[in-house]
Amino acid sequence: MKVTRKIARVHCSRIANSAPLAISLAFFLALLPARAFAQQNPASSNDHTMQAMHDELERSRTRLQIPGQLKPFFIEYRLVDLDVRSVTASFGALVTTSTTHNRYMDVDIRVGDYKLDSSNFIAGEQFQGFLGSAGQVGVDGDYESLRQDLWLATDQAYKQALTTLSQKQGFLQSLARPPEVADFSQEKPSNHVDPRLVADWTNRNWEDEAKKASAVLKNYPDLTSNHITYTLIYQTYYVMDTEGTTIRVGRTLAAIEAGLDTQAPDGVPMHNFYAAYTMLPGELPSADEVAKQLDTRGKQLVAERTADPVSAYAGPVLFENRAAAELLAQLLAPSVSGSRPPLSMLPMYDQIVQARGGRSEWLGRLNSRVLPTGATLVDDPSAKDAQGHMLPGSYGIDAEGVPAEKVTLVDNGMLKDLLMSRRPGQDFAQSNGHARALFLGDALAMSSNLFLSSANAVSPADLKKKFLDQCKQDGRQWCLMVRSMDNPGIAGFGEGDVSDLIAGASNGERVPLEVYRVDVADGREQLLIPGHLQALNLRMLRDVTAIGNDPATYSYEQSAQAGVAATALAAFASSADGVPSTVTSPSLLFEDIEAREARGEMRKQPLVPPPPMN
Amino acid sequence: MSAELDRSMPVLTKADPPAYFINYTITESQRTNVSGSNGALLDSSEARNRWLEAQIRVGNYDVDNTHKVGGTQPAYQPSPGTNVPLEDDPAVIRRAIWLETDKQYRNAAEALVKIKTSKEVQVQSAEEHAPDFSREKPHTSIAPHIAYQLDRRPWEQKVRNYTAYFRQSASILNSIVTFNAQAENTYEVNSEGTKLQYGELKFRLELFIQGKAPDGMDIDRYYNFDWVDPTQPPSDEAVMAAEKTMRSELENLVKAPLVEPYAGPALLTGRAAAVFFHEVFGHRDEGFRQKDINEGQTFASKVGDPIMPNFITIVDDPTRAALGKSVLLGTYPFDDEGVPSEKVTLVDQGVLRNFEMSRQPLNNFPASNGHGRRQLGAQPVSRQGNLIVESSKPVTNAELRRMFITEMKRQNKPFGLLIDDIAGGFTFTGRGQPQAFQVQPLVVYKVYSDGRPDELVRGVDIVGTPLIALTKIMATGDTPEVFNGYCGAESGSVPVAAAAPMMLISEMEVQKKESSSDAPPTLPHPFHDPKGSQNGGGQ
Repeated sequence: MKVTRKIARVHCSRIANSAPLAISLAFFLALLPARAFAQQNPASSNDHTMQAMHDELERSRTRLQIPGQLKPFFIEYRLVDLDVRSVTASFGALVTTSTTHNRYMDVDIRVGDYKLDSSNFIAGEQFQGFLGSAGQVGVDGDYESLRQDLWLATDQAYKQALTTLSQKQGFLQSLARPPEVADFSQEKPSNHVDPRLVADWTNRNWEDEAKKASAVLKNYPDLTSNHITYTLIYQTYYVMDTEGTTIRVGRTLAAIEAGLDTQAPDGVPMHNFYAAYTMLPGELPSADEVAKQLDTRGKQLVAERTADPVSAYAGPVLFENRAAAELLAQLLAPSVSGSRPPLSMLPMYDQIVQARGGRSEWLGRLNSRVLPTGATLVDDPSAKDAQGHMLPGSYGIDAEGVPAEKVTLVDNGMLKDLLMSRRPGQDFAQSNGHARALFLGDALAMSSNLFLSSANAVSPADLKKKFLDQCKQDGRQWCLMVRSMDNPGIAGFGEGDVSDLIAGASNGERVPLEVYRVDVADGREQLLIPGHLQALNLRMLRDVTAIGNDPATYSYEQSAQAGVAATALAAFASSADGVPSTVTSPSLLFEDIEAREARGEMRKQPLVPPPPMN
Repeated sequence: MSAELDRSMPVLTKADPPAYFINYTITESQRTNVSGSNGALLDSSEARNRWLEAQIRVGNYDVDNTHKVGGTQPAYQPSPGTNVPLEDDPAVIRRAIWLETDKQYRNAAEALVKIKTSKEVQVQSAEEHAPDFSREKPHTSIAPHIAYQLDRRPWEQKVRNYTAYFRQSASILNSIVTFNAQAENTYEVNSEGTKLQYGELKFRLELFIQGKAPDGMDIDRYYNFDWVDPTQPPSDEAVMAAEKTMRSELENLVKAPLVEPYAGPALLTGRAAAVFFHEVFGHRDEGFRQKDINEGQTFASKVGDPIMPNFITIVDDPTRAALGKSVLLGTYPFDDEGVPSEKVTLVDQGVLRNFEMSRQPLNNFPASNGHGRRQLGAQPVSRQGNLIVESSKPVTNAELRRMFITEMKRQNKPFGLLIDDIAGGFTFTGRGQPQAFQVQPLVVYKVYSDGRPDELVRGVDIVGTPLIALTKIMATGDTPEVFNGYCGAESGSVPVAAAAPMMLISEMEVQKKESSSDAPPTLPHPFHDPKGSQNGGGQ
């Protein structure tokens, strides 16, 4: 097959046509308010972005209609101005380095009305226009080119909306019980214009830091490969719509993501990872600190090569705070959103979501007990860390221009609220400012900074004692403790491992990274090859035996990609394809969890021995 | 690379199955991209990277892991390679080579097992018995490292200006202009003893505009400039002249009537003829297609037979850097299998003589002629370089036009078709899935036999096998024209050139092409809006 040369515009993938290939640089994303740190753009007098958006929006609002067809009832322009600095090193050597500045737009048009519109529907066939409703635009902030780009994208979005609504109406006719929940919530327009962000890479030398940090891994010749990537993102995010909303906010993210690989003597591939996320580049840990972290992980990984595997196990498992937070990120993602799922003409879509554990376990369970008595779960988009820095999951205004609200999801173990975007659900009709989007992708109701706590929390020492007592009662010599969970989005799994992970997603199979056998007699810890945990679903949280008072915050990138967002795999993204999020959790003790050896594909060791490292 | 080659080869040749050939290539790229759209800067960036590709062949030259059995998918699924450090850190680069070698050896070994099983259960055609890999002499050549120095700011302003011009036309819905600079340094070693280092430098400016006819048909115009001497970019005057032509062609095409079904004489300008030959002849004459039963194997049994008029000779010459004033983009010192490029006469006075050959032999063509090419990360196959169509019976272009009119009259046709621009896989075809060898005339005029002015038509689709048209060439002009482009095929996108003189074809059949369902924009262009563009206009 021939492949045509393209100078076509970069397009954002939308829900029904997103493909892995479409995940380009355009998908770098951060979703954080940074107005406190933003510098005023000195050249703002030449910036006609908002004027161009306003004028074309107004022209479209008043005049856009194809004779005999519906007029749009809602038009939304989103635009993002994106500065990205990215540096990758391996074993102390620089592999890639880049600095880019780009702008993208996305136009959303709805026809119909708030009750039934052209959204929330995955059509079998999409309108194929010549340019699409999203794309790259000029970085100059000039008036004319943006008007022209918006004009074409608006026209395409309008035609898409008309086509989709007619297909949707046809599909609804065929349903015995069409959904009664409205398509779109009505919200007060908001007006919030922050100064434009100017990228500030600080005076730190990121190339040197990446090299210096990864050079420590030269001390571990048993590592087959490794990579460390620094990703620094500044974005200015604009929203303007025909309801009167005008938003310009800054969002920033600084990330360090590293993966380490090795192979056990029997051929099982093994890995470890390290990730750190902060709101601003200057807040990232120093190269020395990162080197220390990588050194620890290198040491651990090499030790794991010759460790015993987890054998078949069913019994008490203690999740230390970091592991508990990582587990919650996976367990909660499909269930914290109260928005209705989209209707789909394609049965395949439902099957994919189902197969990846994307069904909410909390829908329709309002006011019933979902966590142990005394437990509270809060999502707080304005939370700060102990040093007073905004947590990386923080934001002030959501992706649909709705001000963010702190939401108490679970109070004293009872489900009280859900996270909402402007897509209503069966329990709640209004947004509470939790629409989050991957760059200009579809805005979905997602968590920001989740906090689990308990009125009945116990000290770590008491928790460990409880754990060992329980093991003794069961007549065990040893029990399992999990110190951290794995993340294939950063560690870089082999193909076989990923398909294994997907296969296990729907029945609660979870992949830990650091698992220890704890000796009941003397509390001694022995590192194991981690294996898999089984049938670990959100329901299991109801029966957590004890909760610690030792909260730890885990920062991660939450997937916002169609088909992966809000599934059991949602916690596995990276700064290239995720939305920054955090979970803060104390240690958790589970009474009965199953574990088994991983089925990981064994490969022969390379026939040629590794080359010398020095 | 040599150190790892020396470590790997002795071990892997004794493995089961044994490796018999290893090739390592590191390609160091320096790229600059500056693009603009509708008067604004879209992107301005420079990137450097080094890409490692390891090729391991197991089995032997006759049957190895790349062998294709029947019409099935190839068993060999090689890794595209990996990034290696930009810095000369031998320990880290060697580790990457070591890992990639292991990965490729596994892929190759696994494939060979599958191939041996399928070979036993499937009947093989004669060409499939040809060896899988040719034996070639080793080559050593070390040329200096190349790089360019470039200030992007002037180009940022140029792409703004070049695209701002197109805003003057209400018919031009969208415009994109891209400037690219690329320096590539290749380092290659293989187990046969080849050791190469060479650099290539390329600069390119592309202009692209989009419009729509009232019935929704997409109308695109595209033009490109290529140069290799950094001091010789096209002048603003030359670019603006090209833009003026593009604009007027687009504006006229938008208004032009649709073509009616027609069969009769056709005149192809040099650039159109060049694209036509590249697509219709050049691709079919790629050696590997003669082996693959999924391909037409159009020419497999025609060597020595006349396939077009005896005044036509076709060569593919990647050693030639320029034709007249035009650079030739398909120029390279070594192909992507480490074989020096060669001038090959494919058609000699109308008779098929040769194929573009990679190291994948045919029964009667056991060796490469330096046409094994690939885009980084793909496996090389036989591809074109500079395809040059020559004529031993040239007439002036004016004389050719007179012959065209005479031929119309002889055939009793009121008009003939003058095809001025053709889109193929290596020209710009806009969106959508292109089809192999499909050629789409973009700028077509009706030339009347009674002397009326030429009339532009649109929506022209060539009917039937375009190959037949090659046998109906009556005469050619005397001035070759060059088309440079990037050709996409099985081994990815590679730079190529095609050159041909104007051609008169006695019969070509055309029909109306289907138009798009996407109507022109509902609202007028914001700067050509009779109601004004501010605040909804006239409100």
